[in-house]
Amino acid sequence: MPGIVSGLEPGKKRKRKDEVSGNSKKSRTAPKAREPDPQEEVLGLEQKILGSRTNYNSIHTLLDHIRVGGSAEEKAMLAAVALCRVFCRLMAAGNLNKPQDKASNEATIVQWLRERLQDYENGLLKLLKDEDAGRRSTALTLLMRLVKEEATHLNKSEEAIWRDGLFEKLFRTLVEDGMAADTRAEFVEKYVEEYDDVRYYTFARLADMSSKDLPEPVVQNTLSILSAVETILEQQDELEDFYIGPPSKAKHDLYSLTAHKKQAQKAWMAFLRHTLTKAQRKSILNLMSHRIAPWFLKPELLLDFLTDSFNIGGSTSLMALSGLFYLIQHKNLDYPQFYQKLYSLLDAQILHSKHRSRFFRLLDTFLASTHLPAALVASFIKRLSRLTLHAPPSGIVVVVPWIYNLLKNHPSCTFMIHRNSELDKDEDQGRPERHGDPFRIWESDPMETHAIESSLWEIHMLQTHYHPSVATIAKIISEQFTKQAYKLEDFLDHSYGTMLDAELEKDIKKAPEIEYEIPKKIFMKHEVGSGKEDGLVVKLWSFS
Amino acid sequence: MPPSQLKRLKTSLRQQGVVGPQKSKKQRKQASKNGALKESRIQRNAALQGIREQFNPFEVKAASKAKYEIASNKTMGGRVAKGAISRPGVTKGLGEENRRKTLLVEMQRRKKVGGILDRRFGENDPTMTPEEKALERFVKEKQRGSKKGSLFDLEDADEDDELTHFGQSLSFDRPDKVDDFNEADLGRSDEDRADGFLEGRPQKRRRLSDTDATSEASLDEGANIRPEIRKSKKEVMEEVIAKSKLRKYERQQAKEDDDDLRAELDNGLPDLYALMRGTPRQAPPSPAPNASMNPDRLALLNGKERSQTDKEYDERLRQMAMDQRAKPTTRTLPEEEKLQQEATRLKELEEQRLRRMRGEPEESDSEAKEKVQGLNGDEDPERDEEDNFGLGSGLAGERQSRELGVEDEDEFVIEDNLIASGSELEMSDADESDEADDESSDDDDQEFVQGLLSKEDAGREGLSFSKDETGVARANGATGDLAYTYRCPETHDDVLEVTKAIAIEDLPTVVQRIRALYHPKLSSDNKAKLGKFATVLVDHISYLANQPEHPSFAVLEALIRHIHSLAKTFPEEIGCAFRSHLKVFHEERSTAPTPGDLIILTAIASIFPTSDHFHQVVTPAMLCMTRYLGQKIPQTLCDLATGTYFITLCLQYQRLSKRYIPEVVNHVLNTLWALSPGRTKQTRTGSFPHHGLPESLRLSSASPESRQLDFWDVIPGQDDDANESLKIALIDTHIALVDKMIDLWADKSAFCEAFATIYIKLQQLGQGSAFGSLNTTTRKSLHETSEKLNQHLQRSMAVRAPLRLHNHRPLAIKTSIPKFEESYNPDKHYDPDRDRAELSKLKAEHKREQKGALKELRKDANFIARESLREKKERDSAYEKKYKRLVAEIQGEEGREAKNYEREKRMRKGRK
Repeated sequence: MPGIVSGLEPGKKRKRKDEVSGNSKKSRTAPKAREPDPQEEVLGLEQKILGSRTNYNSIHTLLDHIRVGGSAEEKAMLAAVALCRVFCRLMAAGNLNKPQDKASNEATIVQWLRERLQDYENGLLKLLKDEDAGRRSTALTLLMRLVKEEATHLNKSEEAIWRDGLFEKLFRTLVEDGMAADTRAEFVEKYVEEYDDVRYYTFARLADMSSKDLPEPVVQNTLSILSAVETILEQQDELEDFYIGPPSKAKHDLYSLTAHKKQAQKAWMAFLRHTLTKAQRKSILNLMSHRIAPWFLKPELLLDFLTDSFNIGGSTSLMALSGLFYLIQHKNLDYPQFYQKLYSLLDAQILHSKHRSRFFRLLDTFLASTHLPAALVASFIKRLSRLTLHAPPSGIVVVVPWIYNLLKNHPSCTFMIHRNSELDKDEDQGRPERHGDPFRIWESDPMETHAIESSLWEIHMLQTHYHPSVATIAKIISEQFTKQAYKLEDFLDHSYGTMLDAELEKDIKKAPEIEYEIPKKIFMKHEVGSGKEDGLVVKLWSFS
Repeated sequence: MPPSQLKRLKTSLRQQGVVGPQKSKKQRKQASKNGALKESRIQRNAALQGIREQFNPFEVKAASKAKYEIASNKTMGGRVAKGAISRPGVTKGLGEENRRKTLLVEMQRRKKVGGILDRRFGENDPTMTPEEKALERFVKEKQRGSKKGSLFDLEDADEDDELTHFGQSLSFDRPDKVDDFNEADLGRSDEDRADGFLEGRPQKRRRLSDTDATSEASLDEGANIRPEIRKSKKEVMEEVIAKSKLRKYERQQAKEDDDDLRAELDNGLPDLYALMRGTPRQAPPSPAPNASMNPDRLALLNGKERSQTDKEYDERLRQMAMDQRAKPTTRTLPEEEKLQQEATRLKELEEQRLRRMRGEPEESDSEAKEKVQGLNGDEDPERDEEDNFGLGSGLAGERQSRELGVEDEDEFVIEDNLIASGSELEMSDADESDEADDESSDDDDQEFVQGLLSKEDAGREGLSFSKDETGVARANGATGDLAYTYRCPETHDDVLEVTKAIAIEDLPTVVQRIRALYHPKLSSDNKAKLGKFATVLVDHISYLANQPEHPSFAVLEALIRHIHSLAKTFPEEIGCAFRSHLKVFHEERSTAPTPGDLIILTAIASIFPTSDHFHQVVTPAMLCMTRYLGQKIPQTLCDLATGTYFITLCLQYQRLSKRYIPEVVNHVLNTLWALSPGRTKQTRTGSFPHHGLPESLRLSSASPESRQLDFWDVIPGQDDDANESLKIALIDTHIALVDKMIDLWADKSAFCEAFATIYIKLQQLGQGSAFGSLNTTTRKSLHETSEKLNQHLQRSMAVRAPLRLHNHRPLAIKTSIPKFEESYNPDKHYDPDRDRAELSKLKAEHKREQKGALKELRKDANFIARESLREKKERDSAYEKKYKRLVAEIQGEEGREAKNYEREKRMRKGRK
């Protein structure tokens, strides 16, 4: 590239001239700046390097600064920033482009500079693992800057830039064990989210990496990057932010929405193949419907993962449910025995789970149809009402209005709250007198539980719940069903804490009632002959 | 074009046969002969009338033509249409005629006829004979006379025709008749005569019998002269009057007798009371003025020394001035009555509690409360006040009455506690003395049997204080050097400062003394001080329980009882104090309660009615406990012990209202699961959330001897041996708790479902290796409880019927079709608001009437003007006529004279 080289000549000359003046300047300022001000010093060095080729060796000094770190941390950062400027300038000036004749003096210098660039990059990557957040952030910015500069000035192919070059290294460092989470977050926030090409290649890198077996921490880190991607591409013309200039070809992959999605899908699919911990699985499931599934060209691919998660049981199943629902709703997925699975989720923990409100929102949607068989609906009602016998008040207040709504929608289920036994007896005279509850709690098929022949004694019992509001809510099933439906949202997000807060926040408007009888004994036993009965506490506990 | 008026008239005349071809003479003659002529004339007249009407366009007014057919027979004006046509001429004529009959007559009469009307009975009745008229008048007069008097007016009857003086007749008729009286009456009437009022009575009596006699006599002689009817009527009247007099007199007599008797009884009553009390009756506080004054007067009259009596008099006067106004004392009630009253009071309180438990609205509460408190204190004043409240019971009223009631109670409680808790201290400190025990229980019995202080006791404040001194003297602290006065602490730091120097056992005594020193009755700002002190006490019990050196529970108990009695005066302050404790517990350590929290919750159990449907303190307290039970996953035995304590408390809270607590069932199950010795088979856990509790909680070794759970088990820090015995104790307690739960909830409809798992667990516990490591007492109780549970389960299963919750009357389907109005009239207002509709109806009527009246008045005025004009015209024409006549007369005369003169003149000329 003679043109470029020749083009560079005048610049060099100029720089040389500059350098003279710079030198003179430096000779004047150097003595007093030497000790106290590292900034001054670093700036001086930078000037020198840019001034003349002969001063290229100062790059070494700066690199040393970076490498040393430690006590002179500030200096290291200054040096790093300065070097970045230096290399950017040099790259822009074409000083790093390989000359045509390999043997020439120029070539040696370029080679040398490239090696230094490598050193510098390594140094920065190391800085990326620094303890100080500020320095990490700076290092990340510098690295990305270098990526950009290299891509624009070094005439590398796309592959070279993204797959093998600095970006690859940067990426590997980012997902490595021990990498601070905030740097990853910053990376995602500043680059992946902003620039379509960065995101595209990030997904590509992730897919590459995930195709191999990864150690546990790396999986976690990868997940954190993957899950942090919030943007969902919808339109082709959204693809216009490119970190490294728009690609030259008009039909480039970067312009294609499908290609982007494919890349994301690949990354996710590769990732989901790893063995995940429960927490990871849960967090993925959490993101499933709004972050992951929309990226997928073929959401059916997620079905395996979701089914596996659903089969795990417990809260994981709960969370898989919303993903499944997304597929059913948006992708018209057919899921065999869905209601049976759903029914199996109604276990002892469900009303105690922290995902209770989420589950009920879904359950409400699933059972919203009025075309469901009454036997099935009755099974759900009965099962949940059985569970309320052991549920916290916050759970009960969800279940009862929900049952009300279902009974309102499925009038044939109202036999569960009102059954004229005389009429029934006439019908089935042949059958022996029923004993107990016809409901089969252990039956897994909701169509076979005979719940519709049972009654909701449980809710009736809860009408004497200790909490006044719960008791009042439980009474709605024995009043006239005049209300069209209860808004379930009003009942979902309660807990002991919120209920207690609600109670204790209220001002006392009326003086509280006081027990009129002052008991003789509270902790002590009554005398034998006194005729008073000891309280339960006194009977069972000894106070001494 | 219609034919002309004249043509039409002619044709109609012809049609009616009024005009026609001339009849021949012969025909006419014949017609007149058989009367046809006359008939035809009538006919003709009628026909002519018809024609006249027909051709008079003003005689008949056809109603404006209806634009469309309407179903209603009412016109737009709302009045019923009378036929299709109206005859304004006729109606006008009628009106005119009416006026002529009434108004004209009045007009003509004006200034000519006087206003006196003859309204004598029968005067205008031509059918009556003069005798009948006279009789009628007489009867009427008599009736009027007998009607007017009042019930107790004894001398109203017939004095209108007789003058009396002092009831003595002035007519001097037969004074010997006085004796004509029945003897029994006479006997008493002597007394009566003394006051001169009833003097008239015998007189009247006499007069009555007098008339009787005369009438009888007259009956003999002139039975045939007088008409039968007259005599009997008068007779009846007189008899009636006489009887009523007699009755009246007898009633009065009986009343007086009763009064006398009552007075006599009243006099004897104090002695009777004294007898009943069995104590010699004290001299009445303020001697009756009569009794005391009379001897003085006597003495004075008897000529006692003047100076001495004066002195005595002055002394008495001073005494009287100094004397407190006599207060009505409360009646001392006999024992049964007291019990009865107490029983009703308790019953009412219980009813109130039940109402609160059912969560019914409390609008009648204040009233009931007042009623109850009316029973507390003295009867009558309270009752009166209550009546006032009944009229206008506002918030203030309620408050006042509450305070009234409470004050009594409070006083009493102090007095009682001063002794009772003092003695308890003795009991706990030293060897318990039976004497003290008896006394305390006696006092406490009094507290709840005798009810609350009556005014009498309130008056004896000094007494209560002296009692207080003795009580204190008896238990003057552990060190015996307690001070008698303390500052009233207002913050918890103050309390700590005050109690720094004293032994913990003396704390209740100190509290008593503070309460006595700052009793609200002693100073007005004491109430506020005590209020603060009460809240500080709440802080203090929790503080005490949290201290590492565990305080004696006797002290805590005494303090809680103090708080309880203070709570009756300061319910809001203490409620708030407890609530703020709960808040701290809830916000800072909801799953790690301190012993202080446990004590606070225990105190709530005794101070507040825990059976209420909603209670500002109890409801959050329940939530706090169930939150712990539901959310804390126990890791250590202490956690389990705390949970167990909470369960115990929960059950105690629900001992009356028997409300279901799911968390308790869960916790019991989890604890049994965790504790049960040996590996349990993996069974389906049912619908309760199963925590995998740590293995270390499992009862491992064969059981050591059982013990009772101790309160301080909730704090960690025991060695292994103790741990094992604690596990056993926990199991024991849980079995007891299950037993209690069965008692509480066996009647609930879903009892089988809720307890089935517990039963399975108990069965497991009673089998195999698990059973082996339990000791005998546990085994026994386990066996009993599981038997009991089994029975209850079976029974509940058998009894249970399908729910029938919707036996409501079916709801009417809501309709949105407007109500169809038969014969709807757009002029009518179908106002759903009855009152408004009626009002507007009335207004419309008023308007219509006013219009009509105005119209009538205008017509009247027109008529009067017309009439007066006519009269004037008549008068004028008469005058004119007269004038003309006179003029003509004069002229005639003049003319004649003139003629005469002419004649004379001519004659004279002629003669000449």
